[in-house]
Amino acid sequence: MAALIPSASATGSGTMTLAGPSTNSNQTITIPDATGTMMVSGNMPAFSAYQSSAQTLSGSTDTKILFQTEEFDTNSNFASSTFTPTVAGYYQVSSSIRMNSLATSVRMMIYKNGTKYKIGTDVNTTVNNGLVTTLVYCNGTTDYIEAYANIGTGQALSASSADTWFNGSMVRGA
Amino acid sequence: MMTLFEKIKTIYPQLTDHDFMTVITLQNDSDGKGDYIAKWSHPEFERPTQEQLDAIN
Repeated sequence: MAALIPSASATGSGTMTLAGPSTNSNQTITIPDATGTMMVSGNMPAFSAYQSSAQTLSGSTDTKILFQTEEFDTNSNFASSTFTPTVAGYYQVSSSIRMNSLATSVRMMIYKNGTKYKIGTDVNTTVNNGLVTTLVYCNGTTDYIEAYANIGTGQALSASSADTWFNGSMVRGA
Repeated sequence: MMTLFEKIKTIYPQLTDHDFMTVITLQNDSDGKGDYIAKWSHPEFERPTQEQLDAIN
């Protein structure tokens, strides 16, 4: 039979509590045969933001997209249109833009630490929106993520929560 | 006021949209510093100087 050995934190003095179910049913938690940090909702950052003030992009220029309004930011890791998670792990991030009128091309990109990381939509035809989504590792300290776009015809973006947005969430710990 | 892209196109009207998606990268980090040339590796045309760009309005 496996032993359960509670271990006090070297730095914290908080109490560890295993709470029972609120019904009369018995519940079982199976611990995986692996060592790691247990992820719960409190340490899995998630955010969602959108552009609420229209941004005008120059044509054919990789431009950082601005997201002025947050819908949620569970760990306060999103600021200045940049996601800098403070928990190390793997994150699924996505961003979409919509132009007010057709452009001759669009390229959507995720930048990691100021460098182009992944390209999503990349079309050279008349188009009015673009999307990028990717899985990216962040070290929980210095790594940061931004969304960039390049449109062939310089113009303003459609500023609304449905049209121009950026969101992401941790999918597993480091 | 012309954008950096428009100024470069004025200097080199032969450049195509494809050039700007491959061998030339213009960038704007939305930090108030405006558009800049992040990469220029065109095999035929020299990177324009700041003086050339400033002369166009």
